[in-house]
Amino acid sequence: MDIVLSNLSPLVAGLWITLSIAVLSFVGAMVIGTLVAVMRISPVAPLRAVGLVYVEFFRNIPLLCLLFLVVFGLPDIGVLFNLYNSAVIAMAMFSGAFVCESIRTGINTVQVGQAEAARSIGLTFGQSLRFVILPQALRSMVQPLVNVWIGTLIGSSLASVIGIQDVTAIGQSLNNRYAGGLAVFASIAAIYVVIALLSGGFGGWIERRVAVLR
Amino acid sequence: MSPISFRRRLVGGAVAGLAAVLLVACGSSSTTGTSTSEAPATSSGSSAAATGSSSAGSAGATGPGSVAQITGSGSGEIDKATYDSVIATSPKADDATVEANAWAKAIKDRGVLRTGGSETGQLFSLLDLETGKVVGFDAGLSQMLAQYILGEPNTELTVTTVDTRETLIQNGSVDGVFATYSITPARAEKIAFAGPYLISGAAIMVPADNTDITSVADLAGKTVTTQTNSTSLTALQDQVPTANLQPYTNDAECVAALTQGRADAYVIDQSILISDAIGNPAVKVVGEPFTVDPYGIGVTKDDPSAKEFVNAWLKTIEDDGSWADLWKATIGTVVEGDAPAPPAIGSVPGS
Repeated sequence: MDIVLSNLSPLVAGLWITLSIAVLSFVGAMVIGTLVAVMRISPVAPLRAVGLVYVEFFRNIPLLCLLFLVVFGLPDIGVLFNLYNSAVIAMAMFSGAFVCESIRTGINTVQVGQAEAARSIGLTFGQSLRFVILPQALRSMVQPLVNVWIGTLIGSSLASVIGIQDVTAIGQSLNNRYAGGLAVFASIAAIYVVIALLSGGFGGWIERRVAVLR
Repeated sequence: MSPISFRRRLVGGAVAGLAAVLLVACGSSSTTGTSTSEAPATSSGSSAAATGSSSAGSAGATGPGSVAQITGSGSGEIDKATYDSVIATSPKADDATVEANAWAKAIKDRGVLRTGGSETGQLFSLLDLETGKVVGFDAGLSQMLAQYILGEPNTELTVTTVDTRETLIQNGSVDGVFATYSITPARAEKIAFAGPYLISGAAIMVPADNTDITSVADLAGKTVTTQTNSTSLTALQDQVPTANLQPYTNDAECVAALTQGRADAYVIDQSILISDAIGNPAVKVVGEPFTVDPYGIGVTKDDPSAKEFVNAWLKTIEDDGSWADLWKATIGTVVEGDAPAPPAIGSVPGS
């Protein structure tokens, strides 16, 4: 524990990188996921196909492989992002697939009658999504999206193997220097657990606030 | 609204699409794979080695301690037959010697030496995919120790990282760690170090067209890659705090980061850099080694007979020439000249 306490400043710097990568990736994932979810429920068949292929590809590839492909594969075809952006891009694409499925599940919880009613009063596809389906669907998506966020946060530790100096990598370099062993690793794990628990609690609070009273 | 039936029709197309994307992915990863460390010495054919010797030749440096003169004129490829015969001819202890030592006796009773180390350590401990065994200087030492105790080079490797090395020794999961494991007083508080068995030093590798990095001072403010498990990482943090560090877990990734332009320089053990530079005209090794890394064999601190036994064995193989033969067969493939004199056992703090 002494090693952790006497090296707080590099650890905090690493934690900042972890959080910023996780937050940026999650924001990116929300954008990608929402777009893909809309594609997957749209009336246009080719769009649904593209959405399905996207989800099935990025949901079924290990995040570590995806990181390596973006970091070491893309430069071979002439696309070189800096390391930080590479990590964010890979993780946003990966988590985007899960966000998409969470949103689609949320939309599916809205009874078909609601959509039929919306259409029968003359709302377009976009209008029925915006005024009828999504306001109800979003409420049931809170916990699934918190799950995706926690997955993104925890997954960001994989960025340490592609050279990102996140809190996991800082922990490893402290071990390299001070031979702290598993105590340092356990402390790093505790940091992730605390953030994940707080996120879960926050998600529960939001869910209670926005719950539909039936 | 839910396109279930459509989805079914799509499955076939989706699978085909996925297969296509995966093919593209495999194509790009196999391009990277030319430098993948798991493939034993893929890039150094004889013609490639000839090209490479000129780029590595510029290294020409004498390091601190007993780091040898380096001209990079070797092939950079470990000859398996030579390597195997070096291991096979290394000494075997008589029964009385093993019986008299509690640590060695326990290993003999088990019939296998459980080692900790790497599968991706160029020159030191690299997995040979054909045989499933690790090959290199560290790997060779572990196999020689196993042969000394058991009569045959019977080892069982656990891959270790900086986070697990000390713990695996302390909890008895491995008998000894052979992992370019630098002896430091901090580590020596948890485990015992036999040796040092080699004094090495970190040097700098840059892209071949780079002219502004020639010494460690020039790394200030630059992006520098190194290996996560290495003492080079610590040395860089101490000596060039302004450098932007980019550590990867193995040699191949560091070289890729350098050649793809992610990093300005790669710092690691000089002999590893020389072996990377052979057959790779895109990079060159510059300057002299700027660290002194004494490598030791990590063993348990609970049983003093462990360190005692391993040190006595080290003395035996150093005296009878097995140590020098192993050096020639591994590190000697990239470093010219005869094997250096092995460092005196117990000569550094922590050993």
